[in-house]
Amino acid sequence: MLHLIKTIINKVYIIFLMCFTVWYGFFLYPVIWGHGGADHDVDPTAATEANVDAEIAALLNEADMQEEQFASALREQGRIATTNLGYMVVEEEYVQGHFHHVGMTVEPDDSSLCIRCHGAIPHDKAKAIRAFLNMHAFYVACETCHIQPKTEGESWAFRWYDKKSGELISNPPGLTSLDKSMYGNYGAKIAPGRISSSGQFMFLNDEKERAFVEKYLQEKDRLGSTQQSKMKKVIHRRIDEDPLMCDGCHNDTSPYLPYDLLGYPKRRKQDLVGTEVAGMVAKYQEFYMPKFLLPGDNWKPEAPKPAAEKAEEDGAY
Amino acid sequence: MGVLPNKMLHSTAKRHTEAFAALLAMFLVIFMLGGLTWTAPAQAEDELNCVLCHKFRGLSRIDEEGRFRLFYINENLFMKGPHKRVMCLDCHRDIKKIPHDPAEKVNCTVECHLTEPSSKQNFTHAPVKEILDASVHSKYDKEGNLKDYPEDYPGCKDCHEQPLYRPLSFFKGESAGISRRGLSRCKSCHQTGDFAEDFYSHVTSRLQKTRESREIVETCAKCHADPAFQKRHGLDNVVASYKETFHGKAVTFGSDETADCMDCHVVYGESVHSIESHTEPTASTHKNNVAATCRNEECHVKAGEAIASYQVHTDYSNAEKYPMQYYMLKFFQGLMAAVLYFFIIVIFLELLRRLFPNFCFIKEKPTDAKSVLQNSSSEKGA
Amino acid sequence: MSDRYPKINYRNGKRFFFRFSLMQRVQHIILFSCVITLGLTGFPQRYYNEAWAEPLFTFMGGIEMAPQIHRAAGVVLICLFFFHTGYWMYLFYRNKLKPLIKERNLGPGTFFKAFMSMEMMPNAKDGRDIVQMFKYLLYLSPKPPQYDRICWKEKFDYFAPYWGIPILGPAGLALWFRDEFTQIFPGWLLNAFYIMHTDEALLAGLFLFFVHWYNVHYAPEKFPLGTVFLTGYLSEADMIHEHYAEYVETMTEQGLAHEIKPQGHH
Repeated sequence: MLHLIKTIINKVYIIFLMCFTVWYGFFLYPVIWGHGGADHDVDPTAATEANVDAEIAALLNEADMQEEQFASALREQGRIATTNLGYMVVEEEYVQGHFHHVGMTVEPDDSSLCIRCHGAIPHDKAKAIRAFLNMHAFYVACETCHIQPKTEGESWAFRWYDKKSGELISNPPGLTSLDKSMYGNYGAKIAPGRISSSGQFMFLNDEKERAFVEKYLQEKDRLGSTQQSKMKKVIHRRIDEDPLMCDGCHNDTSPYLPYDLLGYPKRRKQDLVGTEVAGMVAKYQEFYMPKFLLPGDNWKPEAPKPAAEKAEEDGAY
Repeated sequence: MGVLPNKMLHSTAKRHTEAFAALLAMFLVIFMLGGLTWTAPAQAEDELNCVLCHKFRGLSRIDEEGRFRLFYINENLFMKGPHKRVMCLDCHRDIKKIPHDPAEKVNCTVECHLTEPSSKQNFTHAPVKEILDASVHSKYDKEGNLKDYPEDYPGCKDCHEQPLYRPLSFFKGESAGISRRGLSRCKSCHQTGDFAEDFYSHVTSRLQKTRESREIVETCAKCHADPAFQKRHGLDNVVASYKETFHGKAVTFGSDETADCMDCHVVYGESVHSIESHTEPTASTHKNNVAATCRNEECHVKAGEAIASYQVHTDYSNAEKYPMQYYMLKFFQGLMAAVLYFFIIVIFLELLRRLFPNFCFIKEKPTDAKSVLQNSSSEKGA
Repeated sequence: MSDRYPKINYRNGKRFFFRFSLMQRVQHIILFSCVITLGLTGFPQRYYNEAWAEPLFTFMGGIEMAPQIHRAAGVVLICLFFFHTGYWMYLFYRNKLKPLIKERNLGPGTFFKAFMSMEMMPNAKDGRDIVQMFKYLLYLSPKPPQYDRICWKEKFDYFAPYWGIPILGPAGLALWFRDEFTQIFPGWLLNAFYIMHTDEALLAGLFLFFVHWYNVHYAPEKFPLGTVFLTGYLSEADMIHEHYAEYVETMTEQGLAHEIKPQGHH
């Protein structure tokens, strides 16, 4: 019996070694035949670039503007720029053509179901204030402004969620930080929700809602184009025609967001509802809002410029 | 802060601008007063409190050409470089009101409000542009005609990010950073403000490379590693071939003492902006000058003239340009494949044989000890 | 030699057969220590853009230290090469030439014959062994090859570094003293030496990791580690398996012909 077991173990080991031998044969092939710059990838910053590079090269052969942009987006993806000052190393996200140092990398909001389609920098129509709106989208969930209570007397409660996991978290410590460069960088966003009778907080965009959007994205090819439109309507059913305006939050009489509850220290709340921000908002309202309410009507595509003229412009020192 | 070159936005924005310019100017005054009461501005340079908005990392948008535009200013880092003494408006000159319209591209060759101490003139980067315009990186050829694909030729910001000091301490042995004890000597006389610290950082940063060699290679690689760019200009993938050299490998592993792009492509002691094509007789890489470039006083001092025939940017897959490398490589690859695959087959068969040791297609009688001896002793020569 | 190292040693009633003298074992230990060190400091440079390269290189001392270690190990290996050359020449003189001189029989013919009779030299029996091995491995013969004291695989193992070091060593020295080198030789020779150095090293590394380690580590009867490189003696079972011809000869020589075991199977 013992002999039999020994023999079996021996044979199994031999078969394992045979597999190892075959694997080594396959492993060797690229090791032997790959050498030199030709097959090495160009950029060590991205581990997957070897694959991406081939794609990029293929894409560029078509010399199509659109495809080139896609290629450069692929190259930019997840790239980290490093500046070694000797006594400190600045690691930051790589932003093509960006002059000023960002000094940090930013976690994407993996949990927002809106971002799945609209991206992390969604605001574009209101030309004058789109950067400001995107700035807010950095730490305020879309539904905070774009879904307001419909029924009379109903009101949302607001909490922070973790950008990565989407889980409810307590007020981020960054709010009380004195480091101004970290303002807005909490790794978290404010989102609306309801408090159940048992006192439990539930986000408006809960698991069920997220699962539905996920399912739609995965299986939409099975739907006809008419059914796709129907589903889109369903997904966007609660979105307000008129989103919450700046002065909804930036006023000192009845701000929409409960700053104290959300962990804003007094001095920061003061900034948000005080003269500076609220005052600027008032001006913006007056000057820009009429256009803002009619997004896109003043936008006309411009004919592409000839290459030389464009180069002149780009070459500004 | 918003750097936006796009004409169509200007046209949209102009309509607002004309109508509301006066009101906005009024607001600017109110706003500045408000800023003073809000909190004392952290830095004198940010007189308009631009960071009130620009301190938020999310301040960004996608422009009409699909580029991601980030308007965030990291104040901590901004204050770590020579530009800390420059006001936002010194560079972003077209901003006349707050909130402002999309700003124009910054022109680095304008004179700013700082004075250059040796000449007492207003400071400007214009001399650098002159050098660059005479180099291979100028978008005009010698006759002053625009070259093909002029948009590929670099301006300041294609290679330079906001500069950061890279100070050195020599106090007791050389190390990175500011020597507090060294600085304390400066401060015994130069007590006002940050003068001593800035001056220290500025000078000691200039005593070494302001950028790590790895970053310099990455900077050149922004264009020179792009396959489409190489194709447009008929260039080899010099970044990949550089990284295959010992220079490239050492730099990849963090060496700052090994040659990077600049060390070979700039004439020793000249401005780094003066790079010329190897076809120019004055270029560091011209065939008559290569030996001198390699043998400069910081590199291969003891080397002979013959070092010039070393081929740096070798493409091992190019049999026409580098036949020796190509065929040597093929020889070694063949040798490797022959040796290794022979043994892989032998070992695989040996393992297979061990699975069924008693099986055989052909029956033979087992040998006895005597025949073994006979068989082997025949070789022993006695 | 035969006094210091009896051909058969008995331990716990088991026979162990002499393979390597202490001198040889020490040389082997120096050899593999150097080769492993050279590999660990060298391959991260060849594969600089693989994920494992930088951590390994940093562990080996980084760009400041690792090249120094690499060069030091290379120098030791070159010294070992010269020492070993002197060593086999001495053995050749003592064991082969001296008897011939005593017999006053030293001539070109006898010298050549003596030279070829050294145990590491390839000979006709190796060819026959390889043929027999393939017959056996392809199930065309029930008899495994009966190897003598040094089988063809071991000869290959021996000559791999003995040809590898003269290729790697001078190339490495040229790359190390590149400045002085270009005083005499053209610079493009460095390009050639670089390929020689890195590709021969890769061959050696891939060979040692798989073939040599199969023979001494992975093989079922060796796993996890054959001990002959430490003790210098091989067990009877391994001796029968790997060097049956020598086994029979030694047993006969020692008057143990009646106790010779059949070769059997693995």
